[in-house]
This record gives sequence, C-alpha cells and structure tokens, in this order.
Amino acid sequence: MTSTLNRPSDGQGSVQVHQDPSVQIQEGALVIAVYGKGGIGKSTTSSNLSAAFSKLGKKVLQIGCDPKHDSTFTLTHKMVPTVIDILEEVDFHSEELRPEDFMFQGFNGVMCVESGGPPAGTGCGGYVTGQTVKLLKEHHLLEDTDVVIFDVLGDVVCGGFAAPLQHANYCLIVTANDFDSIFAMNRIVAAIQAKAKNYKVRLGGVVANRSAETDQIDKFNERTGLKTMAHFRDVDAIRRSRLKKCTIFEMEPTEDVLEVQNEYLSLAKKLSESVQALEAEPLKDREIFDLLGFD
Amino acid sequence: MELTLWTYEGPPHVGAMRIASSMKGIHYVLHAPQGDTYADLLFTMIERRGERPPVTYTTFQARDLGGDTAELVKGHIREAVERFNPEALLVGESCTAELIQDQPGSLAHGMGLDLPIINLELPAYSKKENWGAAETFYQLVRGLLKDKVDGQTTHDPRAWKQEERNPKVNLLGPSLLGFRCRDDILEIKKLLNEHDIDVAVVAPLGATTADLLEIPKSDINVCLYPEISESTCNWLEKNFGMPFSHTVPIGVGATKDFLTEIHKLLDLPLKPNNANNESKLTWYSQSVDSNYLTGKRVFIFGDGTHAIAAARIAKQELGFEVVGLGTYSREMARPVRKAAEAIGLKALISNDYLEVESAISEAAPELVLGTQMERHCAKRLGIPCAVISTPMHVQDVPARYSPQMGWEGSNVIFDDWVHPLMMGLEEHLIGMFRHDFEFTDGHQSHLGHLGAGKAATDNSSLTESQKEDKAISESVNLDSPIWTPEGKEELSKIPFFVRGKVRKNTEKYARQAGCRKIDSETMLDAKAHFKG
Repeated sequence: MTSTLNRPSDGQGSVQVHQDPSVQIQEGALVIAVYGKGGIGKSTTSSNLSAAFSKLGKKVLQIGCDPKHDSTFTLTHKMVPTVIDILEEVDFHSEELRPEDFMFQGFNGVMCVESGGPPAGTGCGGYVTGQTVKLLKEHHLLEDTDVVIFDVLGDVVCGGFAAPLQHANYCLIVTANDFDSIFAMNRIVAAIQAKAKNYKVRLGGVVANRSAETDQIDKFNERTGLKTMAHFRDVDAIRRSRLKKCTIFEMEPTEDVLEVQNEYLSLAKKLSESVQALEAEPLKDREIFDLLGFD
Repeated sequence: MELTLWTYEGPPHVGAMRIASSMKGIHYVLHAPQGDTYADLLFTMIERRGERPPVTYTTFQARDLGGDTAELVKGHIREAVERFNPEALLVGESCTAELIQDQPGSLAHGMGLDLPIINLELPAYSKKENWGAAETFYQLVRGLLKDKVDGQTTHDPRAWKQEERNPKVNLLGPSLLGFRCRDDILEIKKLLNEHDIDVAVVAPLGATTADLLEIPKSDINVCLYPEISESTCNWLEKNFGMPFSHTVPIGVGATKDFLTEIHKLLDLPLKPNNANNESKLTWYSQSVDSNYLTGKRVFIFGDGTHAIAAARIAKQELGFEVVGLGTYSREMARPVRKAAEAIGLKALISNDYLEVESAISEAAPELVLGTQMERHCAKRLGIPCAVISTPMHVQDVPARYSPQMGWEGSNVIFDDWVHPLMMGLEEHLIGMFRHDFEFTDGHQSHLGHLGAGKAATDNSSLTESQKEDKAISESVNLDSPIWTPEGKEELSKIPFFVRGKVRKNTEKYARQAGCRKIDSETMLDAKAHFKG
C-alpha cells in the first residue's frame, strides 16, 4: 500500500517565493491598491479618493505605479519626476536621496510619489514598485501615514501588477458597466484570490465609474460575491477637473460636483470605518460570456 | 557591495552597537554567527572601554542551520532579558543572519516580554555603519516617544520666558566611536552655560531610556552630529514641533554661527563676546610668525561633518589652499559637493581608499587632513597628515581633554594641524642642507625611518627628496633635456614639495627654448619665464 506524505504548508520547502520581510509596510496604515482595465479612470479615482481621505483628516500617501507617471498629476498640478528618474541621477546610490527629491506635497497635504518604470515590454514594473516601497520605508515616510494608495498600472499583468498586492490590505477594482472592463475585473479577482493565500490582501469592492447604469456590474457582482462601494456617473465635471489639472475637490461647487465629492467622501469613510473583506469567486471565461453575452 | 581589504565604515549592525553601548540600560540581541563578535574589540581596544558592549550574540554555527535557528534566537532573548534586566531591548541581525530570514524582531515581539522592544531592520547589503547608528537612535527615540505624540505641534521654543527659567536644549548625536564626542559634549555644555543656556538631555552617549522620554520637555534640540542624529531631530520637529540647530560648531566661525543660530531659535538676545572665552586661534593667526601657513596646499577627506568643517577652517581661518575635498559618506554627499563647489573643487565621493590615495597623490598637497586611512597613505606618500574624522586609531582617542567643537576645539584643531606641518618643514631642511659638510648622514626626518642618508635601492624606502633625485637621473630619454650636475645641485636646493613642479616647468621651458642641457642658468631663465 502506498501512502502520501503530508505536504508541508506553504513556505516550508514550497517554491512560493515570499516577499522580503524588510519591505513590509507596517504599523496600521490602511493600504489600498486600485486596479482596473487600462483607461478606466484608476488615476482619477485614486487621486480623488486620496483627496477625500485628506479631507477626513488622514495623512495620505499616493504611489503612482505606472511608467507614464501621471497618477498624482491632479494632486500636484504637475508631472513630478519618478523615483527611477531620481535614482538614475544619483547612479542608484539611494543613500544620497532626501525625501523631498522624490516625494511631493499635493492637494491638502497628500504626499505624492511616482515610482515610474521601465518602458513597455522591458524591465520589471514589480522591481520598480519594490524599490519605491523600500525607499519610502528607509526615509520613514510610511511610519506616520494613515492611508497609502497604490495606483496600479492597468494594461499589464506582470510583476508591476502583483507587487502592490504584497503590501495592500484591500483592493478596489474600478470598472465601467461594459463587458470589457468587467472581463478585466474578473481576471483581477482571480489574481487577488491567488495572492490572498499568502498575503493579507483582500478584495475591498468595486467602484463603478463613468456609467449611468450598473446592471451588468450588478449581475456580475451577484454571481461572484463582489459588492459595489461607490458609483460615479459619467459626470462631465470629473473629466473637466482632469483637464484643469486638479481634483474634484478644487472645482466650482456646483450641484453635480458636490454630489461627486460626497460620493468620494463616503467611499473614503466606508474604507476607513466599515470595509469588509469579500469572499469572491471569479468566473471561468466561458461563464462570463454566458452571463453577460455580447450585447 | 564589493570585496575590499579595508572600509571606512562597518556594516549597519556596528552602528546599532555604537548606540547600544553609548547608552545605559539598553541591551542588544544580535542574531549573528560566531565570527561577528569581533566588533566588541572596537569598543574595548579603540575606545578603551572598561566593559564589553551590552550585546548578546546568538553565535549560530553551521550545525545550527540544520535545526531551528528561530528557537535559538528566542532562547538568547529570554536569557539576555533575565540576566541583564534591561530597560529596553534592541533586536536585530548581522549581514550573515539577514540571509536566514528568522526575523528576530518579530520573534521577540511574539514572546510577551514586558519591556519596550525595538525591532531593527538594517539592510546590511546596502547601508553602512553611520546609517545603522542613525536608524537605531531614530527607532529607539520614536519607539519610546511615539505614544506621546498627540498631533498637537504647539511646542513653543520661547516657553522658557513665561516659565521664568533658563532656556533648555538637548545635545543629540554624540556616540561611542564618534570623533572626540566625549570632550565635545563638555565643551558645548560650557559654551552654552556661559550664555545662560542649560543642557538637559545628552543622547545617545550616557543617556538612559528615562532621559530619552525627557527630550520633548526641552526648548530646542542641538543636532551635533548630523550623521547620527539628523533623522531623529527631523522626527522630533515633525511630531513635537521642536526646532533644531543645523550648524555644527567646529571652528571659530562655525562656533560663532552656532551661537547665533541657537539664540535665534530660542529668541534670546546674544550677549557680546567675551574675548577671554574665545579661541586663541584668531590671535595666533594674527601673529607675525603665522604667515608661513598661508597658502599651504591641503587635501581634506573624512565623514561629511568633519570634512566640511575642516574645509571652512582651512580656507577661511588659516588661509590654506584647499586642493581636494571629499567624503566616504554617501548620505553626506550633497552638502560636501556643495562645500567643494563653493571653493571651486569637485568633491571626491568614494569609499574606495585606493581611489582616495590616488586623488591625494594627484593633488600633491602639503598637508593631508583625513581619517586613519589617509594617515597611512600620507605616510606612504611622505606628506604630513592630521586625523580629523572617524575611522580612527587608538592614538586618536586621547586620554587628555581634546575636543573639536567650540573655542577650545579650535585651539586643539590648530595645534593638531600645524604641528605636522612644522615638522614637515624639517624634511625640506634636511634636503637643503644635505650637501653641507656639517650634515651627518643618517639624519631622519619626522616622516619616518626613511632617513635621508639611508642606502636605498627601491622607491618604497626613499624619502621624497631621494625619489625626486632618482626621477631626475632616470629621466634620460630622448626628448627630455639633460640635467647638468650643476643644474641637479641647484634643483636639489629647492624644497621637496615643489621640486617636482619646478623640474617639470624647467624642462618644459628648456624644450620650448630649444636647450638640450639644463644648468643653473637655464633654471634662472625658466624661473623668470614663468614668473613673467
């Protein structure tokens, strides 16, 4: 009779590579990673959410993880240099750097960092994010921070996609009420569930963006166990705020602007007070086609 | 990281040891293999301490790696706490132990011990000793004080006025294995007391955890050694609103600036200077005999703080010409670059002692101000040298009072720098009078046992004068002019430290003028040519 040895739990003899413990973000900061299909409005959502947290009196740090480094643009009103640009300037002698070289104060005291990254198709975005977190930690920038928001790049699923998951408590997924972005969301859910086995990261919820209706999203949520935490209609003020290089909180307080502001504030409040980890089960590709069809 | 025979700084856990040993009632459990205990010697041999550092090593061996090293760590932590009963425990690992990833800090936190535990994460492969010391001091201060941060930064540095008491300051940064910290503390205390400013907490050197808790009660912090205490001072400013001083009072000018800055931060009117209390350096600089120092070429290398201070003293207070300025400290690269640019130099930022040695040899200074390592290479090059910065040798930890800071510090610096220079003149006197009939062979200059008369066959045992002579006699190649015996003798009368330059210039002139031979007349012509 043959018997199978008990397989040791992960981490003992398994091939799963764990993150270097010295780069963990610690000490109770709420870490949120914002995911979603490319072009869906992650940077806009992240920046407005950062601004909302700061309005609630939190110390916020936003880390843009996209090589195109425009995540924090509406907070700082300019394109700030990336960590990789700055590291190159000092020949990667990070000891020479001072926080003001790579961290910039934006709207209402939000601290902004752009990790930057390799050009598309080369290098590793995950390495860049890792270096950024290390640098922030060495300069004690994570110690007295209440909320850290990672604005993740949308188009690639690689190290750059996975690295923020190692630090985050909760993931937000930004999606529109259309098949493509929900399809992308489904894949993101699968990736997060895989990571959640070894890391503290959990699904926070869905941000419905730029959509009048949410029927498709609702259908998907019901099947998978996800929940919508905030809903932004296709409000022109959000588009205009980006053109004006500012957050929604700096716009003329018209009725629709106030409504959007309140929705961001309530999202920030939910995240800091009553967020619950969701146990969502991603669909197989076939199932999602059957569910949402091609309409 | 690179392999080297010699480094300016140790790994970061040595920095942590410096903080632990500097303080009272702290114990450091260091997860490290057997060999890493060597660092104890730095404290017993160089600082000549009466006790070993308060460090417990886990000293794991090869066979432990097959077992449970985490249990080994916990056992040592338990024993250390029972035996030493510390007020706070530092837990960390050395470079080798970092690779095992036992996370001793987390282990210690999980043991339910009833004392503050500071988990030190010191990346051994990218950071060095001073960074490790600064980080340890920061984590210790923050660990003990973070619960007292109330979000209200209403600290008023002028509170001493309403409370009708003397202003109170903390001196932050002095540590063991720092440069003359013990005496700097006394000197700065004396200086501040003369201005009716009290010193409350001095840390880390001599401080207890109870002292660290008192830090926010003072009016301002004095950041004496930025390498060690700048990050802590920044944190205290951000979280408690305590301003801190940035001027390091080394040299007469910097001491004056320091007093001005402290008074401004405290909103205290500065009393007019009492000439008796001031340094004697200014008096000496005005003396009739002092001008022989003027224009001496000096090369400066050390930690950031001491190198920048030395450059200022050399340039502004002694009238030296600074021909090189650099540091091994990457963290201080920026201010050093700025200081170098201000005097028209490009700073040398390097932790490769061979690179520093070749820069010194290239700059051909008359005096080297450096670390223990520059003393070695200055000796090899036959150039006078004074040590101004760590890393240092036993002889740089003198028994007598010899601060670097404040008025007395300026006196000490003046003596330390000028003595080797005056001795250096002897070398050229030996050169000048070597041909005198009264001169006995075998005279030794201060530059060692390389006495001028010693029969020498290889360059390593030649004096500078002899090396020059040798170079001249060997320089017979086709396009070089030939030195006549008369010309050679004339050249040998020229002080050794400028002889090389005179020889090159004379040969250049001879080539331009089409002379094949150089005699005393050619030399005079060349001199006239370059002067005109």
